[in-house]
Amino acid sequence: MTLADRLAAYLSRTAGRPTAVENLARISGGASRETYRYEAVADGVREGFILRRDPPGSLIETDRRSEFLAIRSFAGKDVAAPEAVVLESDGAELERPFFIMRRVDGGAAGSPFSPDPFGANAAAIGEQFFAILGRIAGEPIEGLPLLEAASAPAREDCWRRELGYWAGVIDADEQHPQPIVRAAIRRLRATPPPPAARISVVHGDYRAGNFLHDGAGKILAILDWEMVHLGDPLEDVAWAMDPLWSRPDDERISGMVAKNVALDIWRRASGLPVDPAALAWWRLFASVKGQAIWTSSAKAWRDGGFAEPILAFSGWYTARRQDEILADHLAALGPA
Amino acid sequence: MTPALPDILVGQMVALMIPLPPEAGGDYQAGRAGLLAMLAGLAAQEAERGTAARIWENGAIRELLGESGVDSDFSWRALDAANAELRRRLIAAHEAAEAARDEGRQRDILALYQAMAKARRLDLPV
Repeated sequence: MTLADRLAAYLSRTAGRPTAVENLARISGGASRETYRYEAVADGVREGFILRRDPPGSLIETDRRSEFLAIRSFAGKDVAAPEAVVLESDGAELERPFFIMRRVDGGAAGSPFSPDPFGANAAAIGEQFFAILGRIAGEPIEGLPLLEAASAPAREDCWRRELGYWAGVIDADEQHPQPIVRAAIRRLRATPPPPAARISVVHGDYRAGNFLHDGAGKILAILDWEMVHLGDPLEDVAWAMDPLWSRPDDERISGMVAKNVALDIWRRASGLPVDPAALAWWRLFASVKGQAIWTSSAKAWRDGGFAEPILAFSGWYTARRQDEILADHLAALGPA
Repeated sequence: MTPALPDILVGQMVALMIPLPPEAGGDYQAGRAGLLAMLAGLAAQEAERGTAARIWENGAIRELLGESGVDSDFSWRALDAANAELRRRLIAAHEAAEAARDEGRQRDILALYQAMAKARRLDLPV
């Protein structure tokens, strides 16, 4: 029985009417979920959807329920979240947990590893990119569906929770000693940032490559919410600004807009301040978090039987580039 | 360092041998092939520079730690095993320099980190 057959059986059972699945095709959607596009046909009506299914082994320990609820939290709000349709935590006919979203057609994702991913539309896309992030940061968390799955830390504890988690990932998954990221972790622990200005939804992987644009300067959808949590909104700003996503020109974030322009857009959209000391802390943290993800990726490549080449790329090229970024950052900071 | 080049090459072989299900053709298959091609290009860089980078790094850490000794087994398995032990001692030396507030020593170590990262660098083709 093919995946399309199983999906059709699930949709027919849950909808209570015969539903056909057509044009099911896997697409590149990151390493943490298998992502497919398909069309469901029932009663002569054809609609496009996206299926996100847990893989046998995953790059990151993520909570699909948080991802689903985060997308649902922003339904109908001006942040280009896709429409979440259904979540099946036990996998049902598909054998592994999954959720379904309505498909956003006509979009493309620009690779952060391309020299100029957005061409002539870069400034327009950058304006929307940081304005949307500001609106996510400014959204009151009270009453959001995401609260069913995510707990809010105290404002002064955001850094401790995130650093503890990602340092723990490195402890668990490291296969060779990494003195550079270890030095960065010590630096972060020794110099905590000021408390968060507020507790916000943190997308967790907000960067070039994780949104769709229409090729004419309009962002259509913000994707890949699998690392969403509640915390300091500057975490997302710093992650988006990491030099890893801006090759070869680190002056413009992913080829879009200069850093000071990005921060101005974000401030206006969020209504929140940018504390320079806090942002500096979260920027170093962003590279530590990145290295933790790439460390897990290398382990997953081996443990997963070498099935997903994206894990090799992340665990190898990306890890080494992140080490360069971290080493330069630490040298610029000087002695502890 | 991780994954090691043999893992990359064996992994490429495995990835190419695994039959993909019918729903994983088209764009996904093309993207996967592109990724495997890119890994091959990076593997060529690693094959060319990897031995020299390992020997250099091991020597540079020994020098900073004030240790004598040289690598005599140039297999990557042996070089990486020596490197793992040297890196552990480097971490300890950095922690000690921080505890002692020895700024000169810390600067030397931070400069070594930059050189280590640069020596291990891989370059994307575009």
